[in-house]
Amino acid sequence: MYIFICEDSIDGIFTGVYDAWASGYGHTNISLTTKIPENYSLFCEYITVETDYAKSAKVARTLQRRMGEETYSELCQAACALDYSGRRKTLDKADAIYKTIVLALSLSDSSKVLHYLGEPCVNRVFQLSRCMGNEAHHLLGFLRFQELANGVLLARIHPQNNVLAFLGEHFSDRLPLENFMIYDENRRLALLHPCGQDFFITDTEGLDLEALKHFSPEEMEYQKLWCRFFDSIAVEARVNPKLQNQNLPKRFQKDIVEFQRQNRI
Amino acid sequence: MNLHLDMDLFEKLTLLSAAAKYDVACTSSGVDRQGSHKGMGNTIAPGICHSFSADGRCISLLKILFTNECIFNCAYCLNNRDSDVPRTSFTPEEICTITMEFYRRNYIEGLFLSSGILVSPDYTMELIYQTVYQLRTIHHFHGYIHVKAIPGADPYLVEKTGFLADRMSVNLELPTADSLKQLAPCKSRHTILKPMRQIQNRIADNKQELIVYHNSPKFVPAGQSTQMIIGATPENDFQIMSVAEGLYQKFHLKRVFYSAFVNVNDNSMLPALPGGPPLLREHRLYQADWLLRYYHFEVSELLSADRPDFNIFLDPKCDWALRHLEYFPVEINRASYQTLLRVPGIGYKSAERIVKARRRNTLTFEDLKKIGVVLKRALYFITCSGRMMYRTKLEENYICENLMRDKTQIPKDIRQGGYQQLSFFDKELQADFQLTDTQIIPPFQQISAQ
Repeated sequence: MYIFICEDSIDGIFTGVYDAWASGYGHTNISLTTKIPENYSLFCEYITVETDYAKSAKVARTLQRRMGEETYSELCQAACALDYSGRRKTLDKADAIYKTIVLALSLSDSSKVLHYLGEPCVNRVFQLSRCMGNEAHHLLGFLRFQELANGVLLARIHPQNNVLAFLGEHFSDRLPLENFMIYDENRRLALLHPCGQDFFITDTEGLDLEALKHFSPEEMEYQKLWCRFFDSIAVEARVNPKLQNQNLPKRFQKDIVEFQRQNRI
Repeated sequence: MNLHLDMDLFEKLTLLSAAAKYDVACTSSGVDRQGSHKGMGNTIAPGICHSFSADGRCISLLKILFTNECIFNCAYCLNNRDSDVPRTSFTPEEICTITMEFYRRNYIEGLFLSSGILVSPDYTMELIYQTVYQLRTIHHFHGYIHVKAIPGADPYLVEKTGFLADRMSVNLELPTADSLKQLAPCKSRHTILKPMRQIQNRIADNKQELIVYHNSPKFVPAGQSTQMIIGATPENDFQIMSVAEGLYQKFHLKRVFYSAFVNVNDNSMLPALPGGPPLLREHRLYQADWLLRYYHFEVSELLSADRPDFNIFLDPKCDWALRHLEYFPVEINRASYQTLLRVPGIGYKSAERIVKARRRNTLTFEDLKKIGVVLKRALYFITCSGRMMYRTKLEENYICENLMRDKTQIPKDIRQGGYQQLSFFDKELQADFQLTDTQIIPPFQQISAQ
């Protein structure tokens, strides 16, 4: 058995796929992982994969051509998902993606690969992609921008999955003329969108956290106005906190203005 | 009527959002539109919920009235001309500023603008049009806009507004013309259905135009919706669902919303609701509504003149399945998509996934679980490769008893009514429960009781 250890990112996994394929060991003798194993297994050879953007781009190109845009983007979503396979005995994320790709390229119509949920690897990719997709979709609504003193909009989020790229596409289409920043505090990554330009994602070493605490004077007024609206729109005769928490899970609430206020009191 | 012209924005927003809260529709779905480089906003077809208020309902749009002044006297409405509430109006500019600033901070997905009738229906519709016009052309807002078509307004104004809005709605208010006459004497079936028909026809024409001229402006691209108040008048579920079915078929509505009646005015013409609004009844109506729109059910299959109300203990799909055990069990690996749709515990998404996945593999119960089938409901009705999941009996009482153990089926207060000791199939008892729960006591009885 040959185990390829790759970085936990789209590029890392795709490079792993490239190297594993090129190694010629035979698909049944290969597995991929994104986690450095704590215990090494017997009779396994471990190969560390260096992330190589040229290789990853080649894999991406092939997949886009063979699978079509829709299936490809689902696969990318799965690659961005949090891999919780450590908790249960499930297929490793990178391994599931690799096996799905192998299966896809063996089919006459690769775009249908994600239909075959009876295959364990496809099922895993489907679950990962759904998990990431759901959280990203939630954040499209639950994310809150605050206006800083210099007019930049800032949002802080604590997502489980790596959703920044997905959010970036949505918000740069929605707010093309704004300077905004979405800060993933769990991963310490920031997405920056300068007015009228494309967004980019960067790590946040040397980020001036103090500057992010000065809000514009209007900001507080609009927050108050919003909270007023939020309170008055509820129908008293139907109050149902359980349903509220079910629809808007607690882990999102700490980043949402109208809920922060309640927690402070 | 007391006017407050100098009221500040905070109070205005508080009043006019509180006045709009009984409108149910807060969806931002139905249209995909990319942003433009010189404005703000886009829309996505599934819609986005931005928050959930204390009642657990989704907040997607800035739901406000333009004004809560009104010349109508609908008995169920907080803002009718006889009720003693502070009155105020927004200006179009104020609405635009709030919408843009809220949207920018990602609080909302767009604007839901309704209004009391100020001066006349035409005058009010014109104000709504002005607001939406400013938002779209001066502020270049490309987010979602849902506006009400005011019953009785000039068709020309409705049409102008429709080219700026994503969704329009005219509220049906009450399921039958008689109830409407009794509770909303200023409205009539005619003034409500006329704009609805107009919007429907214009949407159909617009589709033709769009085929020929790809860039022609879109008319109400997200379709129209309506809402009915449930429990204020003595209509039964069968009547309500038949009206809804008629609206879907004859008016091509996107959605019909049901609003559990809340007695805000203490009006003696209306039922008092000591047990709170009929929420469970509303829930069952929505479940049935989904069955009509996504599951190819017809109202006549779910209810009939002899059985005019939904079973409060079981959802309409389980209820239907229990009465039609002759169709079950269904073999997952062979049954058609339409058959799968009728199995309790299998949703339309799971059914689709099953049909696709079984082309390559024979599916097992384990696979079904991963696909998203709710096995605790489905297991009585399905086989995988000819076997049932457990040894179960295909028998109404047996399955029903087991389904009722599912706590999500019925709310706690009713469950605690001691159902274990009682038989649910006792017709009289069931009727009893329905009375206390749904409060469908006719208004005249209410009055005589007092």
